[in-house]
Amino acid sequence: MENNTALPTSPSTSKPEPGGLKLFVKKLVSQRMLVLMSVPFVIWLFVFKYVPVWGWTIAFQDYQPSLAFKDQQWVGFSHFRSLFSEDRFLIALRNTLAMSGINLVLGFVTAVSLALLLNEVRKVAFKRVVQTVSYLPHFISWVVAAGIIQTMLAPDGVVNELLKMFGVIEKGQEYLFLGKAEWFWGIFGASSVWKDVGWNTIVYLAAISSIDPAQYEAAEMDGAGRLRRMWYITLPGIKPVIIVLLIMNIGYLLESGFEPQYLLGNGMNVDYSENIDIFVLKYGLQQFNFPLATAAGMFKTVVSFILLFSANHIAKRLGQDRLF
Amino acid sequence: MAKKLWTAGMAAALAVSMTACSSGNNNGNASSAAPAGSSSAPASGSASATATASASEKPLDKVTFSFFNGVAGEKDLNTNETTIGKMLEDQTGVNFKIEHLVGDLNTKIGTMIASDQYPDVIIPDAAIEEVLKAGAFIPLDDLIEQYGPNIKRVYGPYFERMRADYGGKIYFLPFGPQVGEYVADPNINQGAFWVQRRVLKEAGYPKIKTLDEYVKLVEDYVAKHKDENLTGMITLTHDWRFFATSNPPMHLAGFPNDGNVMVDINTNEAKTYAGSENEKRWLKTLNDLNGKNLFDKASFVDNYDQYIAKLTSHKVVGFFDYGWQIGNAMNVLKDAARKDQAQDDYVYFPLPVTFDGTHDQYLDPPGWTSNRGAGITKSAKDPARIIQYWDNLLTDDNQVLKSWGIKGETYEVDDKGRFYRTADQIAKLDDAFNEKFGFKTYDWDWPQYGTSSTLADGNAVAPGFQPEVFQLSLTEGDKTILDKYGVQTYAQMFDKPEDRPWFPAWSIPKEQGSPQQIWETKKDDLLKKYYAKLVLAKPADFEGVWADYMKEFGKLDTAGYEKWYTEQIKKIVEVAK
Repeated sequence: MENNTALPTSPSTSKPEPGGLKLFVKKLVSQRMLVLMSVPFVIWLFVFKYVPVWGWTIAFQDYQPSLAFKDQQWVGFSHFRSLFSEDRFLIALRNTLAMSGINLVLGFVTAVSLALLLNEVRKVAFKRVVQTVSYLPHFISWVVAAGIIQTMLAPDGVVNELLKMFGVIEKGQEYLFLGKAEWFWGIFGASSVWKDVGWNTIVYLAAISSIDPAQYEAAEMDGAGRLRRMWYITLPGIKPVIIVLLIMNIGYLLESGFEPQYLLGNGMNVDYSENIDIFVLKYGLQQFNFPLATAAGMFKTVVSFILLFSANHIAKRLGQDRLF
Repeated sequence: MAKKLWTAGMAAALAVSMTACSSGNNNGNASSAAPAGSSSAPASGSASATATASASEKPLDKVTFSFFNGVAGEKDLNTNETTIGKMLEDQTGVNFKIEHLVGDLNTKIGTMIASDQYPDVIIPDAAIEEVLKAGAFIPLDDLIEQYGPNIKRVYGPYFERMRADYGGKIYFLPFGPQVGEYVADPNINQGAFWVQRRVLKEAGYPKIKTLDEYVKLVEDYVAKHKDENLTGMITLTHDWRFFATSNPPMHLAGFPNDGNVMVDINTNEAKTYAGSENEKRWLKTLNDLNGKNLFDKASFVDNYDQYIAKLTSHKVVGFFDYGWQIGNAMNVLKDAARKDQAQDDYVYFPLPVTFDGTHDQYLDPPGWTSNRGAGITKSAKDPARIIQYWDNLLTDDNQVLKSWGIKGETYEVDDKGRFYRTADQIAKLDDAFNEKFGFKTYDWDWPQYGTSSTLADGNAVAPGFQPEVFQLSLTEGDKTILDKYGVQTYAQMFDKPEDRPWFPAWSIPKEQGSPQQIWETKKDDLLKKYYAKLVLAKPADFEGVWADYMKEFGKLDTAGYEKWYTEQIKKIVEVAK
């Protein structure tokens, strides 16, 4: 960008389009305002997203916080090896994938269904009430939500009382819901849906509202009933939104959350509630084993990266809308 | 489990929370605090800084140090916002800005270590080994030599052990050095089997000595009051507090809280009790209670707050725990009883329960917690000023100030020189007052005389340990029940603690990542998994689950752990001779 005196002089000469670097420089100059505007964000991205990657080196060292970088001992992939030979990590990986899967499927199905159903409601007042009630839990912190869930599921809680009322169980046989390890995923899935379904619905409702009403009228003329209209107009109308969100969420597959598992987990359900994030906390940070924590974090990043690109690629192959 | 320090810490904290003060002379002018031989100290730097500095001395410039306390639960503040802290600031010019832990200790300390930036003073609590390993604490030996006559006087007897523990240097000051005669805590801040007073009243105040008697007492009471929806027993299992459920076998066998081991007082052999017959007997008892619907299953999923809430609900008949850990619940129950005599029924009473009922060791012997304390970090700009402040705090007068308060305001002295408090003063010292005055801030986290210490004139350092104060703090209900058992204090319900120079064994430093530490981590994980299974199993299945547990437990190198501990204890006993 030093001087732009060497620009082609006569535009009439039919030179081939400049390629590569030349083109880049030319565009840069002609769009300099846009470039300048994006500079702060590029800097932000670099400082907060790229510089910390330097910390990944910890995963390949026997890291001692008190030593300088040059004095650290390099150990290659040994921390990764110990990670994958650790039973607890494999259990945590299984739990992470299971809970993410449950969250992904349930989250989508419930949110899309609720959006479709709400869209059909005629009475605006009723619609508003349902929407508000369903997205309120999203604003409760997990700490409070976990307290509510624990209280409800306690041996003397609402759920057990109801079961006793309907004669499903006798007094003294109360279920210790959070103590039944294999039930944890179910409890987690139900809690997540309760908490986030209303919130996730909003984006679909917005997408639905942008569908041309003429389409519905035309379908009605052709004799399509309500269900048909949902199936042939509403759903295809919000398909791009669904697919883009799906791709993004697949990228987050190894992020099954931290708070609900941490707060609802206990010694009895640990084999089903401990996910990678909690593993990193327990066996990495809390035991001052920073390399192990970093290795687990790197593993998550790499897998997420692969998942995101594959999902995007599949969408591209199928000729659907996609991220990039 | 390492957090058992709390036993000691909070015990003192609670004991002292009924405290007050004095600098033994007029309105906080602590000129008498000057240690003998201060003449040799430089004017500006000696601990003898007098509040009323004479005109020739230049006043000390004010300085504020940051202070991180790795224990959650108290308010963050500046020490000079409290009455005591202000007086100490007048003497030394030093103020501390205290920050308490929020969230997870290891994560917080780990962040400090990773960034290599520290507050001036840290109390790392259970993370002390990591802080030392990261080289964050500066050695204090030279500073103490130069500025610490009082530190030398109070800690001197322990120097050898402090240096032996951490490679020949002193890196931090623990909190409980014994000064003067040993005086016992009249209240129970340590372990006990607790039961509601109404249960004892109804049974005619029986002597309860064995676990079987205790269980029967609870069982009978619940059976008689079927319609009240009572819970027989609960236990506390949340997070690091799990030891409240796993420690009883040690106490039931007649040993004090040494952590994971029971130490034979004659041979000094350390034996673990996890995976032992004692543990099996304790778990079988809980299993039976659960089989009869007398045990609260939710014990294994409740968190600490829920547990405390249950203790104040009047529905729980009995439980095992440490007094310092149930302080919040006990205060609520006691306050209610103070306002309304009828509520006394729901206050819990401590019982010295053992397997055979012959000999209990619930009360702590005089101990030295060697792996907890306050240290100065390498980030501190002016360590000398901090040491001077600590040294100044360790004068007799300032120790009286920080625990008794100000004469005529928070305590009185009778004609025999005994410190006491009037009923009005005791009533005045509620939580809010203690916070404002600084009793709360200065109750534990500073170099100080251990809680069981006495002053040269025979007064107890901790007001709660002074018989005159204890007697006045009793309600009618307290007096009645103590009288029924023919004792003056709760502690008299229990046997005298025997002398154990290594006590508490859990505080013997273990290196980060050492086999001992790994054994403890793995053992804790195993216990957390199996205790619930064992207690909640059908009584018929108990033996089968126990066999599984023993199989898993057999994979741990318990023999190596015991051997290491026995060696350490023998070393300490040698030094103590």
